[in-house]
Amino acid sequence: MRTSAHGDILMQYIDLYDIIVVGGGHAGSEAALAAARMGCKTLLLTHSVETLGQMSCNPSIGGIGKGHLVKEVDALGGAMAAVTDEAGIQFRILNSRKGPAVRATRAQADRALYRKAMRAQLENHPNLCIFQQAVDDLILEGDKVTGVITQIGVRFRARTVVLTAGTFLAGRVHVGLENYQAGRAGDPPALTLAQRLRELKLPVGRLKTGTPPRIDGRSIDFSVMTEQPGDDPAPVFSFMGSREQHPQQLPCWITHTHEGTHDIIRAGLDRSPLFTGVIEGIGPRYCPSIEDKITRFADKNSHQIFLEPEGLTTHEFYPNGISTSLPYDVQYALVRSIKGMENAHITRPGYAIEYDYFDPQGLKSSLETKSIAGLFFAGQINGTTGYEEAAAQGLLAGLNAALQVKDRDAWCPKRNEAYLGVLVDDLITRGVSEPYRMFTSRAEYRLSLREDNADLRLTEIGRSLGVVDDVRWAAFEKKREAIAREQERLKSTWVNPRVVDAAETLRVLGQAMEREYPLLDLLRRPDVTYGALMTLPGAGPGVDSVQVAEQVEIQAKYQGYIERQQEEIERSAQQENTRLPQDLDYAKISGLSIEAQQKLAKHQPETLGQAARISGITPATISVLMVYAKRGFSGQRKTA
Amino acid sequence: MADRDTIAAIATAPGRAGIGVVRISGRALADLSLKLCGKALPPRMATLCDFGDGDGGIIDRGLALYFPAPQSYTGEDVLELQGHGGPVVLQRLLKRCLEMGARVAEPGEFSKRAYLNGKMDLAQAEGVADLIDASTEQAARCAQRSIHGEFSAEINELGRQLVELRALTEATLDFPEEEIDTGTTDDQVRRLGAIQEKLSVLLSASDQGSLLREGALVVLAGQPNAGKSSLLNRLAGEEVAIVTEIPGTTRDAIRQSINLFGVPVHMIDTAGLRESSDAVEKMGIARTWAAIAQADLAVLVIDAVKGESAEDRAIAARLPTSLRCLQAFNKSDLARKAVGREGDKIVLSAKTGEGMDDLRAAIAEAIGWRGGAEGVFMARARHLTALRAAQAGLARAATQTRQQEFLAQELREAHGALMSITGEVTPDDLLGEIFAHFCIGK
Repeated sequence: MRTSAHGDILMQYIDLYDIIVVGGGHAGSEAALAAARMGCKTLLLTHSVETLGQMSCNPSIGGIGKGHLVKEVDALGGAMAAVTDEAGIQFRILNSRKGPAVRATRAQADRALYRKAMRAQLENHPNLCIFQQAVDDLILEGDKVTGVITQIGVRFRARTVVLTAGTFLAGRVHVGLENYQAGRAGDPPALTLAQRLRELKLPVGRLKTGTPPRIDGRSIDFSVMTEQPGDDPAPVFSFMGSREQHPQQLPCWITHTHEGTHDIIRAGLDRSPLFTGVIEGIGPRYCPSIEDKITRFADKNSHQIFLEPEGLTTHEFYPNGISTSLPYDVQYALVRSIKGMENAHITRPGYAIEYDYFDPQGLKSSLETKSIAGLFFAGQINGTTGYEEAAAQGLLAGLNAALQVKDRDAWCPKRNEAYLGVLVDDLITRGVSEPYRMFTSRAEYRLSLREDNADLRLTEIGRSLGVVDDVRWAAFEKKREAIAREQERLKSTWVNPRVVDAAETLRVLGQAMEREYPLLDLLRRPDVTYGALMTLPGAGPGVDSVQVAEQVEIQAKYQGYIERQQEEIERSAQQENTRLPQDLDYAKISGLSIEAQQKLAKHQPETLGQAARISGITPATISVLMVYAKRGFSGQRKTA
Repeated sequence: MADRDTIAAIATAPGRAGIGVVRISGRALADLSLKLCGKALPPRMATLCDFGDGDGGIIDRGLALYFPAPQSYTGEDVLELQGHGGPVVLQRLLKRCLEMGARVAEPGEFSKRAYLNGKMDLAQAEGVADLIDASTEQAARCAQRSIHGEFSAEINELGRQLVELRALTEATLDFPEEEIDTGTTDDQVRRLGAIQEKLSVLLSASDQGSLLREGALVVLAGQPNAGKSSLLNRLAGEEVAIVTEIPGTTRDAIRQSINLFGVPVHMIDTAGLRESSDAVEKMGIARTWAAIAQADLAVLVIDAVKGESAEDRAIAARLPTSLRCLQAFNKSDLARKAVGREGDKIVLSAKTGEGMDDLRAAIAEAIGWRGGAEGVFMARARHLTALRAAQAGLARAATQTRQQEFLAQELREAHGALMSITGEVTPDDLLGEIFAHFCIGK
């Protein structure tokens, strides 16, 4: 027995875990579940079992780009979509009038139900143990991680460690000019671990995020606000889910700030930690605080506020749109200036939180750190924001940790395969300058990467990796087969204008048919829906499954664009598939500028495609690298 | 380091001149300049010095200019030695540089380093190459414009407008709850129209630039006694300017290249096109036919005294049917015919020069030259391809304003094609633009 730095007695656990996941947020939960699904002996360490699956910011899951990630996590057997189906109290499809590529599911979730459902998933999963203790230190042997040490000095040994410490690392909360060390939503910060990681010389930075004050719904006058109900029928998040899982549904409410509100905020700016330089971390441009909004867009005299219910068993509302770190007296006045909130009772003050993140350029595309073997990072510590981004990374990190334990190659989805691939590639090649959030505009293959086909893109891969169970696999195979069968039927069923009544074709197609067509060609027309087409005499009956019908229709409508994107993907395949050896000495490659040599040496890109996306790397540099790649980089290795 | 060695070259044209320049670029030249000039050189100042030969002798006395990295043409240390212009002096200076570890620069290597070090973009670097290669004064002026980044500036301005339009489009897709997707379609259509118009102006200017750079191939055909040679001499004018050679197999077929309003026009002579059993001659004939297949225009010279004969028609019939053919009725003075032009028929006299202006104008018009190098950019084939791809993308975009995700896709492709010209990739431009213009923040 030795003593820890704090003088506590160390206890060495006998068990050797395959994977230890540190943190029980959205990244940690998916990481632990993925590893356990793959049959690895997994330990989840959290500072509090009660806050497993905690939504520490706004109570919603999904949205444009984010919903895409949730569907991908689901397609790979993850929990987020299924848990949301059990906890969601309002479901909507955003962009429903736009094309399927940009349609996205969004749900308000009951925080308590969400925690409960996620905890049930974790606690009931085979191969997965949970232990409540904050982690203070990593055990290293050389450049390899071999375990962790908890706050009271317990040592756990593991083959791999997935760190998902979120915003807890050296967290500092700001309300006005007051600030104190803390984690999210009243939790303690992870200071010792942060200190330890800084000692390991992992490149660290500082980011900022914030939340609005919460309001007691009983003190809000909803009668003067605009009601925003969920979609009817309510969308379902998981490919395996059903509407029957949903609890009672609630609406959201919309109100606005006005010039009076803005005057109150302006008068308080001298005590704002953001505007007085107290906060150094960089906040997200797409989620600015209300004080930031009225300063940057001074000509806008009103801002939208969405009042989102926090749950079925609480009166609390989350006023989305007035995130703030102004002093409490200013928060109080600004909330009460808003229409319908004149008598509002604030239940929790808004705050900003600064936290450490690690430069994700220090990660491999498997999310393993380049400097410490077996150590994986996922979630907000990589500079991202959002539950969905965290969950997606968590799943990938847990999966790749498991693959490493099994001595198998890491799975690194490409940009043309998944938003998950876009996310990781963006992070590791470009780093972050603000908390990173997913948008569909980040995905150059957006038309191929849709919510609706996440399972068709990923479930088969997930099955071969070992994260997709038998039930999901069977359902997926059945769906895929039904799609193929229906597509074949539509291709081979011809509609002849001499047989079908002209009034019918006019009704369904909006115009007369001049010659014979297969049904599939008719479905390609922009204004012809699958449902309407099936009412054409001789065309139906179609398939019953909504998912199958939707897929057949979307694939028909998008075919031209998908084929073009496919050509683009093939054109870029050479760059994407050209691997750059990790022992490459860029100083030995003539024709590269010093700047390019330094950047490449720092980033150690894994492929030519990754290199091309590093900022400041020019096409000329890529051409030079390509020439050397063709010669196999002989003579440019560090060992050479 | 072997991979980034010091390079040196005589930078001025060969031959005698008042001054001549030797230019040196490398990672660290302070030591070399001290040895060569005998004193430490202040940055960016003309310093009079004696260029030493290393054995205590002096090669020349001249001005030395030292540009420490990164504020230099190549981005590395650059040393310019201005000596007297004689070839012997410059050769000795260069030799001395090589003795001190430099190697002779490859053609274009200074510009290549400037590009690799981010001192100029791809279009600018190509502009330098074009300036060096420029075969006519007008081409040189256009190349000059490209170096000064005017072409890049036009591309970047177009790119900026496209980024704005894309940001507007992407914002409606990514932020549907932010009260910004109302009434944007009209705005999008208006912006798209403006970009298309600007691009088509730029494309037309680049087309002309391409003509200035690449020139045109013109077949000169006719019976042996129709006066092809005198016509050619007359076209070439006083200075028989052999301005450039075109590469590859067509070279043998070119008899002369002439300068027509600044456009290099390469004349393919058909004099040798006859049946032959000689192997070497056969190869030459085959090459001539290959050149004719690529030609932009044919000029059939006809004896105006005899009028168009069966032989003339036979010659015309052997040319590719798609090739436009001008008929030049020569010897108007002998035929006592009035000179002038009617469509593709021009009556002229190579001997007196009458009617030649009509022929020049007709050729220029037929090869697509619209006159004047003002605003014309020295575009390469690569630029034209990219500009046309962008144009096609924008045209498809214009048909997709009802489906925003398709519109966005077409705009993305058009933007990518456009920015491939200057070689600048700016992935985060879009989001930056969105957040600068729209208050996002649900």
